[in-house]
Amino acid sequence: MNSMAIEIERLSVTAGRKRILEVDALTVGSGELLAVMGPNGAGKSTLLRACLGMQPGASGRVRLFGQDLGRLGSPALTRLRRSVGYVPQALPVHGEMPLTVREVVSIGRVGRAGLFRPLSRADWLTVDDWMERLGIAMLAGSAFHELSGGEQRKTVLAGAMVQEPRLLLLDEPTANLDLGWRERIVETVRLLHAQNRLAVVLVCHELEALPPSCARVALLDHGQVIGDGPPEEALTDQQVAALYGPGLTAVHQGGRHAVIPRGGRT
Amino acid sequence: MDVAFWAPVMAGGLIAGASSGLLGVFIVGMRIPFLGVCVAHAALAGAVFGSLCGLEGRALLLPALAGAMLAALLLGLLNPERARLDDNVMMGFLFSATMGLAFLGIGLFGVMGRSDNDVRSLLWGNLNFCRWADVRLMLAASLALLGFVLLLHKEMRAIMFSRQVAAAAGIHATAVWTAFLVLAAGVLTVNFQTVGGLMIYSLVVNPAAAAFQLVRGCGRAMVLAMILGGLSGLGGFLVSAVTDLPSGAVIVLVSSALVAGAAARSRIFARSGRNERKRTPGPGERVQEEES
Repeated sequence: MNSMAIEIERLSVTAGRKRILEVDALTVGSGELLAVMGPNGAGKSTLLRACLGMQPGASGRVRLFGQDLGRLGSPALTRLRRSVGYVPQALPVHGEMPLTVREVVSIGRVGRAGLFRPLSRADWLTVDDWMERLGIAMLAGSAFHELSGGEQRKTVLAGAMVQEPRLLLLDEPTANLDLGWRERIVETVRLLHAQNRLAVVLVCHELEALPPSCARVALLDHGQVIGDGPPEEALTDQQVAALYGPGLTAVHQGGRHAVIPRGGRT
Repeated sequence: MDVAFWAPVMAGGLIAGASSGLLGVFIVGMRIPFLGVCVAHAALAGAVFGSLCGLEGRALLLPALAGAMLAALLLGLLNPERARLDDNVMMGFLFSATMGLAFLGIGLFGVMGRSDNDVRSLLWGNLNFCRWADVRLMLAASLALLGFVLLLHKEMRAIMFSRQVAAAAGIHATAVWTAFLVLAAGVLTVNFQTVGGLMIYSLVVNPAAAAFQLVRGCGRAMVLAMILGGLSGLGGFLVSAVTDLPSGAVIVLVSSALVAGAAARSRIFARSGRNERKRTPGPGERVQEEES
Protein backbone atom coordinates (compact mmCIF):
# COMPACT_ATOMS: atom_id res chain seq x y z
CA MET A 1 0.00 0.00 0.00
CA ASN A 2 1.26 3.47 -0.88
CA SER A 3 2.42 5.34 2.23
CA MET A 4 1.44 8.67 0.71
CA ALA A 5 -2.16 9.82 0.84
CA ILE A 6 -1.56 12.78 -1.48
CA GLU A 7 1.32 13.53 -3.85
CA ILE A 8 1.17 16.75 -5.81
CA GLU A 9 3.64 17.63 -8.57
CA ARG A 10 3.58 20.86 -10.59
CA LEU A 11 -0.10 21.47 -9.94
CA SER A 12 -1.37 24.57 -11.67
CA VAL A 13 -4.92 25.92 -11.67
CA THR A 14 -6.04 28.73 -13.91
CA ALA A 15 -9.31 30.63 -13.98
CA GLY A 16 -9.57 32.39 -17.32
CA ARG A 17 -6.14 33.92 -17.84
CA LYS A 18 -5.38 34.15 -14.14
CA ARG A 19 -3.28 31.51 -12.42
CA ILE A 20 -4.86 30.95 -9.01
CA LEU A 21 -2.74 28.04 -7.78
CA GLU A 22 0.78 26.86 -8.52
CA VAL A 23 2.19 24.14 -6.30
CA ASP A 24 5.50 22.54 -7.32
CA ALA A 25 5.42 19.72 -4.81
CA LEU A 26 3.37 18.84 -1.76
CA THR A 27 2.82 15.49 -0.08
CA VAL A 28 0.64 14.26 2.75
CA GLY A 29 1.55 10.95 4.34
CA SER A 30 -0.97 8.33 5.41
CA GLY A 31 -2.03 9.16 8.94
CA GLU A 32 -0.53 12.66 8.77
CA LEU A 33 -2.44 15.82 9.70
CA LEU A 34 -1.47 18.71 7.46
CA ALA A 35 -2.89 22.16 8.04
CA VAL A 36 -3.00 24.45 5.00
CA MET A 37 -3.09 28.05 6.07
CA GLY A 38 -3.23 31.34 4.30
CA PRO A 39 -5.31 34.46 3.86
CA ASN A 40 -8.60 34.61 1.97
CA GLY A 41 -8.10 33.97 -1.74
CA ALA A 42 -4.77 32.18 -1.25
CA GLY A 43 -6.01 29.10 -3.11
CA LYS A 44 -6.67 26.80 -0.14
CA SER A 45 -10.13 25.61 -1.17
CA THR A 46 -8.93 25.29 -4.79
CA LEU A 47 -6.16 22.99 -3.57
CA LEU A 48 -8.68 20.72 -1.81
CA ARG A 49 -10.96 20.55 -4.87
CA ALA A 50 -7.92 19.73 -7.02
CA CYS A 51 -7.13 16.86 -4.64
CA LEU A 52 -10.61 15.49 -5.41
CA GLY A 53 -10.21 15.98 -9.16
CA MET A 54 -13.12 18.43 -9.05
CA GLN A 55 -11.33 21.67 -9.89
CA PRO A 56 -11.83 22.98 -13.43
CA GLY A 57 -8.71 24.41 -15.06
CA ALA A 58 -6.28 22.18 -13.13
CA SER A 59 -3.17 20.72 -14.75
CA GLY A 60 -0.16 18.85 -13.35
CA ARG A 61 -0.16 15.66 -11.34
CA VAL A 62 -2.22 14.81 -8.26
CA ARG A 63 -1.94 11.27 -6.91
CA LEU A 64 -4.26 9.93 -4.22
CA PHE A 65 -2.98 6.74 -2.58
CA GLY A 66 -0.68 6.28 -5.58
CA GLN A 67 -3.39 6.73 -8.22
CA ASP A 68 -2.90 9.57 -10.69
CA LEU A 69 -6.23 11.43 -10.90
CA GLY A 70 -5.44 12.62 -14.44
CA ARG A 71 -5.19 9.05 -15.69
CA LEU A 72 -8.40 7.84 -14.12
CA GLY A 73 -11.64 7.66 -16.06
CA SER A 74 -14.78 9.08 -14.53
CA PRO A 75 -16.02 5.79 -12.96
CA ALA A 76 -12.60 5.04 -11.40
CA LEU A 77 -12.31 8.60 -10.09
CA THR A 78 -15.79 8.33 -8.59
CA ARG A 79 -14.79 5.08 -6.87
CA LEU A 80 -11.56 6.60 -5.55
CA ARG A 81 -13.46 9.55 -4.06
CA ARG A 82 -15.31 7.08 -1.82
CA SER A 83 -12.15 6.78 0.25
CA VAL A 84 -11.97 10.54 0.75
CA GLY A 85 -14.19 12.40 3.19
CA TYR A 86 -14.79 16.02 2.24
CA VAL A 87 -16.34 18.82 4.27
CA PRO A 88 -16.82 21.93 2.13
CA GLN A 89 -16.55 25.45 3.43
CA ALA A 90 -20.03 26.55 2.34
CA LEU A 91 -22.85 24.31 3.49
CA PRO A 92 -26.15 24.31 1.63
CA VAL A 93 -28.63 25.69 4.13
CA HIS A 94 -32.09 26.78 3.09
CA GLY A 95 -35.54 26.19 4.46
CA GLU A 96 -36.84 24.49 1.32
CA MET A 97 -34.72 21.39 1.91
CA PRO A 98 -36.62 18.70 3.83
CA LEU A 99 -33.59 16.53 4.70
CA THR A 100 -33.11 15.36 8.27
CA VAL A 101 -29.76 15.15 10.01
CA ARG A 102 -29.77 11.35 9.69
CA GLU A 103 -30.43 11.60 5.96
CA VAL A 104 -27.59 14.08 5.49
CA VAL A 105 -25.16 11.87 7.43
CA SER A 106 -26.22 8.86 5.34
CA ILE A 107 -24.97 10.59 2.15
CA GLY A 108 -21.53 9.27 3.03
CA ARG A 109 -22.73 5.66 2.58
CA VAL A 110 -24.52 6.23 -0.74
CA GLY A 111 -21.49 5.87 -3.01
CA ARG A 112 -20.34 2.72 -1.21
CA ALA A 113 -23.77 1.09 -1.47
CA GLY A 114 -23.77 1.46 -5.26
CA LEU A 115 -26.46 2.46 -7.74
CA PHE A 116 -29.97 0.94 -7.51
CA ARG A 117 -29.28 -0.59 -4.06
CA PRO A 118 -30.88 0.82 -0.92
CA LEU A 119 -28.72 1.44 2.12
CA SER A 120 -28.41 -1.75 4.13
CA ARG A 121 -29.11 -2.16 7.84
CA ALA A 122 -25.34 -2.18 8.38
CA ASP A 123 -25.07 1.16 6.54
CA TRP A 124 -27.70 2.72 8.80
CA LEU A 125 -25.98 1.28 11.89
CA THR A 126 -22.76 2.97 10.77
CA VAL A 127 -24.68 6.22 10.29
CA ASP A 128 -26.21 5.96 13.78
CA ASP A 129 -22.87 5.00 15.29
CA TRP A 130 -21.11 8.10 13.91
CA MET A 131 -23.95 10.39 14.96
CA GLU A 132 -23.59 8.93 18.46
CA ARG A 133 -19.81 9.38 18.43
CA LEU A 134 -20.03 13.01 17.33
CA GLY A 135 -22.80 13.79 19.81
CA ILE A 136 -25.54 14.56 17.31
CA ALA A 137 -27.66 11.42 17.78
CA MET A 138 -30.39 13.40 19.55
CA LEU A 139 -30.70 15.58 16.42
CA ALA A 140 -31.26 12.63 14.07
CA GLY A 141 -34.84 13.56 13.15
CA SER A 142 -34.28 17.32 13.07
CA ALA A 143 -34.26 19.19 9.80
CA PHE A 144 -30.69 20.06 8.76
CA HIS A 145 -31.57 23.70 8.10
CA GLU A 146 -32.89 24.12 11.67
CA LEU A 147 -29.51 23.33 13.26
CA SER A 148 -26.93 25.81 14.50
CA GLY A 149 -23.81 26.37 12.38
CA GLY A 150 -21.71 24.15 14.67
CA GLU A 151 -24.26 21.32 14.61
CA GLN A 152 -24.38 21.54 10.82
CA ARG A 153 -20.58 21.23 10.63
CA LYS A 154 -20.67 18.18 12.88
CA THR A 155 -23.43 16.66 10.74
CA VAL A 156 -21.43 17.04 7.53
CA LEU A 157 -18.31 15.83 9.34
CA ALA A 158 -20.23 12.72 10.45
CA GLY A 159 -21.32 12.26 6.81
CA ALA A 160 -17.67 12.32 5.76
CA MET A 161 -16.73 9.82 8.48
CA VAL A 162 -19.42 7.26 7.61
CA GLN A 163 -17.59 6.88 4.31
CA GLU A 164 -14.83 5.24 6.39
CA PRO A 165 -12.33 7.43 4.58
CA ARG A 166 -8.55 7.06 4.45
CA LEU A 167 -8.23 10.78 3.85
CA LEU A 168 -10.27 13.63 5.28
CA LEU A 169 -10.34 17.01 3.54
CA LEU A 170 -11.72 19.77 5.78
CA ASP A 171 -12.31 23.19 4.29
CA GLU A 172 -12.44 25.74 7.11
CA PRO A 173 -14.58 23.61 9.42
CA THR A 174 -14.56 26.34 12.08
CA ALA A 175 -15.56 29.20 9.78
CA ASN A 176 -18.25 31.49 11.26
CA LEU A 177 -18.46 29.52 14.52
CA ASP A 178 -18.35 31.04 17.97
CA LEU A 179 -15.48 30.27 20.33
CA GLY A 180 -17.24 27.37 22.05
CA TRP A 181 -18.19 25.61 18.83
CA ARG A 182 -14.77 26.26 17.33
CA GLU A 183 -13.13 24.46 20.25
CA ARG A 184 -15.60 21.56 19.99
CA ILE A 185 -14.81 21.15 16.29
CA VAL A 186 -11.04 21.39 16.90
CA GLU A 187 -11.34 18.68 19.56
CA THR A 188 -13.46 16.54 17.23
CA VAL A 189 -10.86 16.82 14.46
CA ARG A 190 -8.12 15.91 16.94
CA LEU A 191 -10.01 12.83 18.11
CA LEU A 192 -10.91 11.72 14.57
CA HIS A 193 -7.28 11.93 13.51
CA ALA A 194 -5.96 10.23 16.63
CA GLN A 195 -8.50 7.40 16.77
CA ASN A 196 -8.86 6.58 13.10
CA ARG A 197 -5.27 6.91 11.81
CA LEU A 198 -6.47 8.71 8.72
CA ALA A 199 -4.69 11.42 6.79
CA VAL A 200 -6.25 14.84 7.32
CA VAL A 201 -5.82 18.04 5.32
CA LEU A 202 -7.25 20.89 7.36
CA VAL A 203 -7.67 24.17 5.54
CA CYS A 204 -8.04 27.21 7.77
CA HIS A 205 -6.89 30.76 8.15
CA GLU A 206 -7.00 30.97 11.93
CA LEU A 207 -4.11 29.56 13.97
CA GLU A 208 -6.59 28.84 16.76
CA ALA A 209 -8.24 26.22 14.56
CA LEU A 210 -5.14 24.00 14.60
CA PRO A 211 -5.53 20.95 16.85
CA PRO A 212 -2.62 20.11 19.19
CA SER A 213 -1.82 17.02 17.13
CA CYS A 214 -1.05 19.10 14.05
CA ALA A 215 2.68 18.66 13.46
CA ARG A 216 2.91 20.28 10.02
CA VAL A 217 1.61 23.45 8.43
CA ALA A 218 1.83 24.47 4.77
CA LEU A 219 1.48 28.18 4.17
CA LEU A 220 -0.22 29.27 1.01
CA ASP A 221 -0.15 32.79 -0.37
CA HIS A 222 -1.27 33.96 -3.80
CA GLY A 223 -1.55 30.33 -4.87
CA GLN A 224 2.01 29.36 -3.90
CA VAL A 225 3.43 27.42 -0.97
CA ILE A 226 5.64 29.88 0.91
CA GLY A 227 6.35 27.74 3.96
CA ASP A 228 6.07 24.14 5.13
CA GLY A 229 7.04 22.74 8.52
CA PRO A 230 6.05 22.37 12.18
CA PRO A 231 3.67 25.14 13.32
CA GLU A 232 6.25 26.74 15.64
CA GLU A 233 8.77 26.97 12.79
CA ALA A 234 6.45 27.78 9.91
CA LEU A 235 4.32 30.32 11.74
CA THR A 236 6.96 32.85 12.72
CA ASP A 237 6.13 36.51 13.20
CA GLN A 238 7.69 37.21 9.78
CA GLN A 239 5.54 34.62 8.03
CA VAL A 240 2.40 35.76 9.84
CA ALA A 241 3.20 39.32 8.76
CA ALA A 242 3.78 38.13 5.18
CA LEU A 243 0.41 36.35 5.18
CA TYR A 244 -1.84 38.63 7.16
CA GLY A 245 -0.03 41.97 7.39
CA PRO A 246 2.13 43.71 10.00
CA GLY A 247 1.33 44.29 13.65
CA LEU A 248 0.57 40.65 14.49
CA THR A 249 2.50 38.12 16.46
CA ALA A 250 2.13 34.34 16.69
CA VAL A 251 1.85 32.70 20.09
CA HIS A 252 2.56 28.97 20.54
CA GLN A 253 1.68 27.35 23.84
CA GLY A 254 0.90 23.79 24.87
CA GLY A 255 0.48 22.63 21.29
CA ARG A 256 -2.05 25.36 20.52
CA HIS A 257 -1.42 28.44 18.44
CA ALA A 258 -2.89 31.91 18.17
CA VAL A 259 -2.28 35.26 16.58
CA ILE A 260 -2.65 38.40 18.64
CA PRO A 261 -2.14 42.07 17.78
CA ARG A 262 1.40 43.02 18.82
CA GLY A 263 0.29 45.87 21.08
CA GLY A 264 -2.00 43.54 23.01
CA ARG A 265 0.74 41.11 24.15
CA THR A 266 1.30 41.01 27.90
CA MET B 1 -72.41 14.81 -14.00
CA ASP B 2 -71.54 12.71 -17.05
CA VAL B 3 -69.15 10.27 -15.36
CA ALA B 4 -68.00 8.67 -18.61
CA PHE B 5 -66.92 12.07 -19.88
CA TRP B 6 -65.44 13.39 -16.66
CA ALA B 7 -63.70 10.22 -15.41
CA PRO B 8 -60.57 10.69 -17.58
CA VAL B 9 -60.49 14.37 -16.59
CA MET B 10 -60.49 13.45 -12.90
CA ALA B 11 -57.92 10.70 -13.43
CA GLY B 12 -55.76 13.16 -15.38
CA GLY B 13 -55.99 15.73 -12.60
CA LEU B 14 -55.10 13.12 -9.99
CA ILE B 15 -52.09 11.78 -11.92
CA ALA B 16 -50.83 15.22 -12.96
CA GLY B 17 -51.12 16.42 -9.36
CA ALA B 18 -49.38 13.41 -7.84
CA SER B 19 -46.52 13.29 -10.38
CA SER B 20 -46.00 17.05 -10.25
CA GLY B 21 -45.99 16.89 -6.45
CA LEU B 22 -43.30 14.21 -6.53
CA LEU B 23 -41.21 16.23 -8.99
CA GLY B 24 -41.74 19.30 -6.85
CA VAL B 25 -39.97 17.77 -3.84
CA PHE B 26 -36.72 17.80 -5.81
CA ILE B 27 -37.38 20.91 -7.88
CA VAL B 28 -38.34 23.02 -4.86
CA GLY B 29 -35.79 21.23 -2.64
CA MET B 30 -33.04 22.16 -5.08
CA ARG B 31 -34.48 25.65 -5.57
CA ILE B 32 -34.92 25.31 -9.32
CA PRO B 33 -38.64 26.07 -9.86
CA PHE B 34 -37.59 27.91 -13.03
CA LEU B 35 -37.01 24.44 -14.54
CA GLY B 36 -40.73 24.21 -15.38
CA VAL B 37 -40.72 27.46 -17.36
CA CYS B 38 -37.46 26.57 -19.09
CA VAL B 39 -38.70 23.11 -20.09
CA ALA B 40 -42.06 24.50 -21.27
CA HIS B 41 -40.42 26.91 -23.70
CA ALA B 42 -37.92 24.32 -24.92
CA ALA B 43 -40.89 22.00 -25.60
CA LEU B 44 -42.70 24.85 -27.35
CA ALA B 45 -39.67 25.49 -29.57
CA GLY B 46 -39.51 21.74 -30.40
CA ALA B 47 -43.23 21.65 -31.21
CA VAL B 48 -43.02 24.79 -33.37
CA PHE B 49 -40.23 23.41 -35.50
CA GLY B 50 -41.93 20.00 -35.62
CA SER B 51 -45.03 21.71 -36.94
CA LEU B 52 -43.00 23.68 -39.47
CA CYS B 53 -41.60 20.35 -40.67
CA GLY B 54 -45.13 19.13 -41.35
CA LEU B 55 -46.08 17.27 -38.14
CA GLU B 56 -49.51 17.91 -36.70
CA GLY B 57 -51.92 16.88 -33.92
CA ARG B 58 -50.65 14.40 -31.33
CA ALA B 59 -47.49 13.77 -33.36
CA LEU B 60 -46.27 17.21 -32.22
CA LEU B 61 -45.67 15.74 -28.78
CA LEU B 62 -42.55 14.02 -30.14
CA PRO B 63 -40.61 17.18 -31.17
CA ALA B 64 -41.91 18.87 -27.99
CA LEU B 65 -40.44 16.05 -25.89
CA ALA B 66 -37.23 16.20 -27.91
CA GLY B 67 -36.89 19.96 -27.35
CA ALA B 68 -37.60 19.67 -23.61
CA MET B 69 -35.28 16.72 -23.11
CA LEU B 70 -32.46 18.31 -25.11
CA ALA B 71 -32.67 21.42 -22.91
CA ALA B 72 -32.65 19.18 -19.80
CA LEU B 73 -29.64 17.26 -21.14
CA LEU B 74 -27.73 20.50 -21.65
CA LEU B 75 -28.60 21.66 -18.15
CA GLY B 76 -27.47 18.38 -16.63
CA LEU B 77 -24.19 18.09 -18.48
CA LEU B 78 -23.10 21.71 -18.07
CA ASN B 79 -20.79 21.96 -15.09
CA PRO B 80 -21.86 25.09 -13.12
CA GLU B 81 -18.30 25.53 -11.83
CA ARG B 82 -16.78 25.30 -15.27
CA ALA B 83 -19.44 27.52 -16.79
CA ARG B 84 -19.27 29.79 -13.72
CA LEU B 85 -23.04 30.11 -13.83
CA ASP B 86 -25.65 29.19 -11.28
CA ASP B 87 -28.26 26.58 -12.34
CA ASN B 88 -31.01 29.19 -12.34
CA VAL B 89 -28.95 31.55 -14.50
CA MET B 90 -28.30 28.71 -16.97
CA MET B 91 -32.03 27.97 -16.99
CA GLY B 92 -32.70 31.65 -17.61
CA PHE B 93 -30.30 31.57 -20.56
CA LEU B 94 -31.89 28.41 -21.99
CA PHE B 95 -35.37 29.81 -21.38
CA SER B 96 -34.62 32.99 -23.32
CA ALA B 97 -32.83 31.11 -26.12
CA THR B 98 -35.65 28.57 -26.57
CA MET B 99 -38.31 31.25 -26.25
CA GLY B 100 -36.53 33.21 -28.99
CA LEU B 101 -36.47 30.10 -31.18
CA ALA B 102 -40.15 29.38 -30.49
CA PHE B 103 -41.23 32.93 -31.33
CA LEU B 104 -39.06 32.90 -34.44
CA GLY B 105 -40.87 29.73 -35.52
CA ILE B 106 -44.29 31.19 -34.65
CA GLY B 107 -43.38 34.23 -36.74
CA LEU B 108 -42.65 31.90 -39.64
CA PHE B 109 -46.20 30.49 -39.35
CA GLY B 110 -47.50 33.99 -40.17
CA VAL B 111 -45.04 34.38 -43.05
CA MET B 112 -46.16 31.01 -44.44
CA GLY B 113 -49.83 31.85 -43.86
CA ARG B 114 -50.40 28.88 -41.54
CA SER B 115 -52.18 28.53 -38.19
CA ASP B 116 -50.19 27.89 -34.99
CA ASN B 117 -53.21 26.62 -33.00
CA ASP B 118 -51.89 23.03 -32.85
CA VAL B 119 -48.67 24.19 -31.25
CA ARG B 120 -50.34 26.49 -28.75
CA SER B 121 -52.85 23.87 -27.63
CA LEU B 122 -50.04 21.36 -27.14
CA LEU B 123 -48.43 23.40 -24.43
CA TRP B 124 -51.37 25.23 -22.95
CA GLY B 125 -53.73 22.27 -22.88
CA ASN B 126 -57.03 22.16 -21.02
CA LEU B 127 -57.75 19.46 -18.47
CA ASN B 128 -61.41 19.45 -19.52
CA PHE B 129 -60.40 17.94 -22.86
CA CYS B 130 -58.32 15.16 -21.26
CA ARG B 131 -59.16 11.70 -22.67
CA TRP B 132 -58.11 8.17 -21.66
CA ALA B 133 -55.25 8.18 -24.21
CA ASP B 134 -53.83 11.27 -22.47
CA VAL B 135 -54.31 9.62 -19.07
CA ARG B 136 -52.40 6.52 -20.20
CA LEU B 137 -49.52 8.68 -21.42
CA MET B 138 -49.44 10.67 -18.19
CA LEU B 139 -49.60 7.46 -16.16
CA ALA B 140 -46.67 5.94 -18.10
CA ALA B 141 -44.55 9.08 -17.58
CA SER B 142 -45.50 9.25 -13.90
CA LEU B 143 -44.69 5.58 -13.29
CA ALA B 144 -41.31 6.05 -15.00
CA LEU B 145 -40.62 8.98 -12.66
CA LEU B 146 -41.77 7.02 -9.60
CA GLY B 147 -39.59 4.06 -10.56
CA PHE B 148 -36.59 6.33 -11.06
CA VAL B 149 -37.08 8.02 -7.70
CA LEU B 150 -37.59 4.70 -5.89
CA LEU B 151 -34.48 3.17 -7.45
CA LEU B 152 -32.26 6.23 -7.03
CA HIS B 153 -33.82 7.72 -3.93
CA LYS B 154 -30.59 7.82 -1.93
CA GLU B 155 -28.62 9.41 -4.78
CA MET B 156 -31.33 12.02 -5.36
CA ARG B 157 -31.34 12.81 -1.63
CA ALA B 158 -27.58 13.41 -1.76
CA ILE B 159 -27.86 15.54 -4.90
CA MET B 160 -30.66 17.55 -3.31
CA PHE B 161 -28.34 18.31 -0.40
CA SER B 162 -25.42 19.37 -2.61
CA ARG B 163 -24.20 18.17 -5.98
CA GLN B 164 -20.66 19.05 -4.94
CA VAL B 165 -20.86 17.00 -1.73
CA ALA B 166 -22.54 14.13 -3.60
CA ALA B 167 -19.82 14.05 -6.27
CA ALA B 168 -17.08 14.29 -3.62
CA ALA B 169 -18.64 11.34 -1.77
CA GLY B 170 -18.20 9.10 -4.81
CA ILE B 171 -21.74 9.31 -6.15
CA HIS B 172 -22.37 9.43 -9.92
CA ALA B 173 -23.93 12.84 -9.37
CA THR B 174 -23.78 14.22 -12.91
CA ALA B 175 -25.24 11.07 -14.49
CA VAL B 176 -28.09 10.77 -11.96
CA TRP B 177 -28.82 14.50 -12.03
CA THR B 178 -28.91 14.59 -15.83
CA ALA B 179 -31.16 11.51 -15.99
CA PHE B 180 -33.51 13.13 -13.47
CA LEU B 181 -33.68 16.37 -15.46
CA VAL B 182 -34.43 14.52 -18.71
CA LEU B 183 -37.15 12.47 -17.03
CA ALA B 184 -38.57 15.58 -15.35
CA ALA B 185 -38.66 17.31 -18.74
CA GLY B 186 -40.58 14.36 -20.17
CA VAL B 187 -43.13 14.27 -17.33
CA LEU B 188 -43.61 18.04 -17.42
CA THR B 189 -44.10 18.10 -21.20
CA VAL B 190 -46.66 15.27 -21.11
CA ASN B 191 -48.50 17.03 -18.29
CA PHE B 192 -48.33 20.43 -20.01
CA GLN B 193 -50.07 19.21 -23.14
CA THR B 194 -52.95 17.77 -21.13
CA VAL B 195 -53.30 20.04 -18.14
CA GLY B 196 -51.72 23.35 -19.14
CA GLY B 197 -48.52 25.11 -18.15
CA LEU B 198 -49.70 27.43 -15.40
CA MET B 199 -51.57 24.70 -13.56
CA ILE B 200 -48.59 22.36 -13.72
CA TYR B 201 -46.32 25.09 -12.38
CA SER B 202 -48.58 25.47 -9.34
CA LEU B 203 -48.87 21.69 -8.90
CA VAL B 204 -45.07 21.36 -8.93
CA VAL B 205 -44.38 24.13 -6.43
CA ASN B 206 -47.35 24.20 -4.04
CA PRO B 207 -47.74 20.58 -2.84
CA ALA B 208 -43.99 20.29 -2.20
CA ALA B 209 -43.89 23.65 -0.41
CA ALA B 210 -46.85 22.57 1.76
CA ALA B 211 -45.26 19.17 2.50
CA PHE B 212 -42.00 20.81 3.59
CA GLN B 213 -43.98 22.81 6.15
CA LEU B 214 -45.61 19.72 7.59
CA VAL B 215 -43.03 16.92 7.66
CA ARG B 216 -39.30 16.36 7.95
CA GLY B 217 -37.43 13.84 5.85
CA CYS B 218 -37.24 13.33 2.12
CA GLY B 219 -39.33 10.14 1.97
CA ARG B 220 -42.19 11.59 4.01
CA ALA B 221 -42.09 14.82 1.99
CA MET B 222 -42.32 12.79 -1.24
CA VAL B 223 -45.35 10.81 -0.08
CA LEU B 224 -47.13 13.86 1.33
CA ALA B 225 -46.39 16.02 -1.75
CA MET B 226 -47.82 13.29 -3.99
CA ILE B 227 -50.96 13.09 -1.83
CA LEU B 228 -51.36 16.88 -1.67
CA GLY B 229 -50.73 17.18 -5.41
CA GLY B 230 -53.30 14.49 -6.15
CA LEU B 231 -55.76 16.17 -3.76
CA SER B 232 -55.21 19.51 -5.48
CA GLY B 233 -55.74 18.03 -8.94
CA LEU B 234 -58.75 15.88 -8.08
CA GLY B 235 -60.23 18.01 -5.26
CA GLY B 236 -59.91 21.20 -7.27
CA PHE B 237 -61.74 19.59 -10.13
CA LEU B 238 -64.54 18.28 -7.89
CA VAL B 239 -64.99 21.71 -6.29
CA SER B 240 -65.20 23.23 -9.75
CA ALA B 241 -67.74 20.58 -10.85
CA VAL B 242 -69.96 21.37 -7.86
CA THR B 243 -69.62 25.15 -8.02
CA ASP B 244 -69.35 25.45 -11.82
CA LEU B 245 -66.24 27.59 -11.43
CA PRO B 246 -63.32 27.29 -13.93
CA SER B 247 -61.43 24.07 -13.06
CA GLY B 248 -57.91 25.37 -13.74
CA ALA B 249 -58.32 28.36 -11.46
CA VAL B 250 -59.86 26.24 -8.69
CA ILE B 251 -57.07 23.65 -8.84
CA VAL B 252 -54.42 26.37 -8.59
CA LEU B 253 -56.29 28.03 -5.70
CA VAL B 254 -56.76 24.72 -3.84
CA SER B 255 -53.04 23.98 -4.08
CA SER B 256 -52.23 27.54 -2.96
CA ALA B 257 -54.63 27.18 -0.02
CA LEU B 258 -52.78 24.00 1.00
CA VAL B 259 -49.52 25.97 1.25
CA ALA B 260 -51.18 28.73 3.27
CA GLY B 261 -52.84 26.19 5.57
CA ALA B 262 -49.61 24.23 6.04
CA ALA B 263 -47.64 27.41 6.77
CA ALA B 264 -50.25 28.54 9.33
CA ARG B 265 -50.23 25.12 11.02
CA SER B 266 -46.44 25.10 11.07
CA ARG B 267 -46.30 28.58 12.69
CA ILE B 268 -48.92 27.67 15.33
CA PHE B 269 -47.06 24.49 16.26
CA ALA B 270 -43.73 26.30 16.33
CA ARG B 271 -45.17 28.90 18.70
CA SER B 272 -46.78 26.34 21.00
CA GLY B 273 -43.52 24.35 20.90
CA ARG B 274 -41.59 27.41 22.03
CA ASN B 275 -44.04 28.03 24.87
CA GLU B 276 -43.76 24.39 25.91
CA ARG B 277 -39.96 24.64 26.00
CA LYS B 278 -40.18 27.76 28.18
CA ARG B 279 -42.07 25.74 30.80
CA THR B 280 -39.97 22.59 30.69
CA PRO B 281 -36.42 22.80 29.40
CA GLY B 282 -35.50 19.84 27.12
CA PRO B 283 -32.55 17.55 27.70
CA GLY B 284 -30.36 19.46 25.23
CA GLU B 285 -30.99 22.71 27.08
CA ARG B 286 -30.23 21.08 30.43
CA VAL B 287 -26.90 19.89 29.11
CA GLN B 288 -26.06 23.37 27.84
CA GLU B 289 -27.01 24.90 31.19
CA GLU B 290 -24.86 22.38 33.05
CA GLU B 291 -21.96 22.99 30.69
CA SER B 292 -22.21 26.75 31.09
